[in-house]
Amino acid sequence: MAVEAGTGRVAPAELRRSAVDHARARRASRRRNELLRHLALAVITFILVAPFYYVFLASLKNATEIFSYPPKLLPFPPFFGNYKKLLFDTGFLRWMFNTLFVAGSVTTLKIFLDSMAGYALAKIDMTGKKVVFLAMLILLMVPIGALVVPLWALMSSFGLIDTYAALILPPLANPLGAILMRQFILGLPKDLENAARLDGLSEFGIYWRIVLPLIKPGLVVLAVIIFTDQFMSFIWPLIATTSDELQVLTVGVAALRAHGGANYGLWSASAVMSLIPVGVFFFVLQRQFLARSLAGALKQ
Amino acid sequence: MTDAVMTEGGRNAAGRLRLSPAEHRRLARKARLRRELTGWMFLGPMFLCFVLFLVVPVCGTVWWSLRTGNIASGTSFVGLQNFYDLPGVVGAGSAIANTLIFAAISVPLILVGALGVALILAKIRHGGSIYRFLVYFPVLVPGVVAALIWLFLTNVDFGLFNNVMKAFGAYPVTWLGADSALGVLAVLDVWRNIGYWAMFFVAAIIGLPTELYQAAELDGASTWARFRYLTLPLLRRIIFFAVIVSTIWGLQVFDTALVLTNGGPGTATTTVIYRVWLYVFASNNKVGFASAISLVLILVILALTLVQMRLLRDRRGID
Amino acid sequence: MTATQPAIELIDVGKHYGSVSVLTGVNLAIADGEFIALLGPSGCGKSTLLKLIAGLEELSGGEIYVGGQLANYLKPSDRDVAMVFQNYALYPHMTVRENIGFPLKMRGLAKEAIGEKVQAAAAFLQLGAQLDRFPDELSGGQRQRVALGRAIVREPLAFLMDEPLSNLDALLRVEMRTELVRLHKRVGRTTIYVTHDQVEAMTMANRIVLMHKGVIQQVGTPSEVYSRPANTFVATFVGSPPMNLFQGRVDSAGGCRKFVGAFELPLDGIAASEGTATLGIRPEQVQIVPTDTPQALGATVELVERVGADSFVVSQIADGVTINARVDGARQVREGDRVAVRLPAAELRLFDAAGRAVD
Repeated sequence: MAVEAGTGRVAPAELRRSAVDHARARRASRRRNELLRHLALAVITFILVAPFYYVFLASLKNATEIFSYPPKLLPFPPFFGNYKKLLFDTGFLRWMFNTLFVAGSVTTLKIFLDSMAGYALAKIDMTGKKVVFLAMLILLMVPIGALVVPLWALMSSFGLIDTYAALILPPLANPLGAILMRQFILGLPKDLENAARLDGLSEFGIYWRIVLPLIKPGLVVLAVIIFTDQFMSFIWPLIATTSDELQVLTVGVAALRAHGGANYGLWSASAVMSLIPVGVFFFVLQRQFLARSLAGALKQ
Repeated sequence: MTDAVMTEGGRNAAGRLRLSPAEHRRLARKARLRRELTGWMFLGPMFLCFVLFLVVPVCGTVWWSLRTGNIASGTSFVGLQNFYDLPGVVGAGSAIANTLIFAAISVPLILVGALGVALILAKIRHGGSIYRFLVYFPVLVPGVVAALIWLFLTNVDFGLFNNVMKAFGAYPVTWLGADSALGVLAVLDVWRNIGYWAMFFVAAIIGLPTELYQAAELDGASTWARFRYLTLPLLRRIIFFAVIVSTIWGLQVFDTALVLTNGGPGTATTTVIYRVWLYVFASNNKVGFASAISLVLILVILALTLVQMRLLRDRRGID
Repeated sequence: MTATQPAIELIDVGKHYGSVSVLTGVNLAIADGEFIALLGPSGCGKSTLLKLIAGLEELSGGEIYVGGQLANYLKPSDRDVAMVFQNYALYPHMTVRENIGFPLKMRGLAKEAIGEKVQAAAAFLQLGAQLDRFPDELSGGQRQRVALGRAIVREPLAFLMDEPLSNLDALLRVEMRTELVRLHKRVGRTTIYVTHDQVEAMTMANRIVLMHKGVIQQVGTPSEVYSRPANTFVATFVGSPPMNLFQGRVDSAGGCRKFVGAFELPLDGIAASEGTATLGIRPEQVQIVPTDTPQALGATVELVERVGADSFVVSQIADGVTINARVDGARQVREGDRVAVRLPAAELRLFDAAGRAVD
């Protein structure tokens, strides 16, 4: 790509001409490279997105159309039977409500728990906080999936199996949020809280009126992380609930797959419908979603 | 209160202090107590959840890994017996092997792919955001739904893969057969996670100092040389972080295996967490084995976490 | 509070973090209405001392009295002191009006009362037009004024200022300096002003507290600190260029006391005991005289720094020993000239082996 620099001695006029040529060649190669990049990305994104379209197509086909070859690549005339069945003959809407309710509750609770814990870890001089923080770092990556046995025993000893509480409480333990919030709050200037302290704010007042407003961007990122994790969670809701009324989306959809034989039309419709909240949410909060990846870099 | 001590005798051994040392100690203790209390009021709620639903379960796993029986009717202590027996227990060995193979296939593919995408994406001038959006979208699909989608790709009769094969005149393939199912599961994971790490690397690449690249370009370094001698070394720690974290995630695979292949054919895609679930909740009640195999997973994850923490501390030491 | 009671009194104040001692044995009484400058190099503990007075750090020992009341265990907001921070510490999510009114709001004042006080402070600080802006829309000088406004609306017993001008550019700094003095005259409140800039301390303060390594070196008016430094640290820290110092000893052999070092000098009227000593003299007291002047030291001019009205003449009086003299800028002295320097006995300062001034 880099244009080779001229070698040897050259007369001034020649030098000027070759400089112009160089610049032109460089521009051309830049354009060519940009085009190649677009081409590569187009292919990659096509491969990544094609499955969605294929399932979307299937969801608008009836049972015989799904199996026909060559496949119809445009959904016309569309068949809405799959969606009708999904919405009216299964608990899909209930599952969706449960997921949104549980994820929303966990997110709301955790925003406060984590930001308060982060405040204590970052700003309050107290014994034991180093040990607590270290424990949080060490257990950060232990997945809920490896703890289902004791968690189930714990929740059933509380008599909470098959309740919303069983779905909402265990995810609150995840220390990632507290660690992230600590990091965010450490980034606030020390003198700001000192000023607030002199102005007469209590410790809680500083948290509520100074810290929370100033880490709002961090809170949004945290909310997005927690909400999506909850939206996607599967194994714990699978184990913690037994009744149909309490199934969350992932569990319900998995049950559709597991029971009642192969029903590709219904499956495809449920896949498409499950993605709607993700799509909407993602579209609105695109920037914060991408920050999810960046938050990884903050995990220290 | 101060006036009382400001008498002639106020000049005590400590010098010219007007309050007695004992009184100072008492007041200081009170202030300290108040601060500790405030601290725990802030940390307490989160800490309680952390202990109750994370620390206690981890300890519970250790406890039950040393016992046998079932939770409902009572268990008895057997020492390390579960661990000795583990290799011989139905499915335990294959579950561990499957999980390791799964991670060994998916992690390198994810990271190499993500790095490639990120290198292109970081350099693009116009329209980058739409690609980012599309590349990232599969990341937000729950595993269960992703697996459902892949049922439509891997179906022998009408799946997208076989339709493409047919279009090129090749024979259809049984994608979810005993030999290939685990591989397909790993590729599904690549599809689902490549966007996450791609965005992660994009952020890291954008943060690299541009002067270095300009200097390298002046020195006549080719694109490959710049990648090999600048980008890769500069991203070394970031990449290492990605390897550890994506491995930890890979070891947890469960929902896609359940929905796409039901752990099969046979036990071809039965992973560790899948096996735990089977031991306790699906068929026979083997709490001891379930806990023992969980504990193995937890210990591996803890080891990887410690390596990661060690690495970050080293970096802090250097910077 | 009686008239003689100090506004702020520090008794044996100490502060250490673990085994690292930051402040030791600080004793200081600050009279009501005084403008005190805490001066010292960075890391000397002056900011820590200010934070201890404000209650933002906990004492390791000693007592602090604010308005006659023991403050050690009082909350910062109960100490009746207001602080102006180096980086202003304005609340970025509040307007200027809200920032200035915030301490009053926290004290539960009525809305109208707050409004009035904020208006008055803003008028005094010429911030009337900026009241509804946010801090990041203001210039450095304006932010500084807002920070001052937030402090003065409280009408506190004392103002604590932590290098408030160090983030301003040179021109603005001089302007704000006079403004702060004006403010102090007008409000008449005790002010403790932390700075590492001796010019600020000399021009603004009634008294200067010089600190070094967590220990108070000298407390005195600017002229006292300048002309009668308590030790060699003060002698070199205050004054630019610093006081000339010469190592040597005091010798009284042969009946008359004299300083013996790189040169010999009779010490008339200085009550010094024999032993190791340091002799000091301010550059402006050093006289450059014709070479045939009696009792003058022969010297070679090494360097002449012309700074306008004055010139600084650095001359070598012995091998490796130089002396800096401030002379009239019009005076013709060239590098390499042979001259003589005279050190008037009345202007000499003598420091003992520990560096303490001998008086």
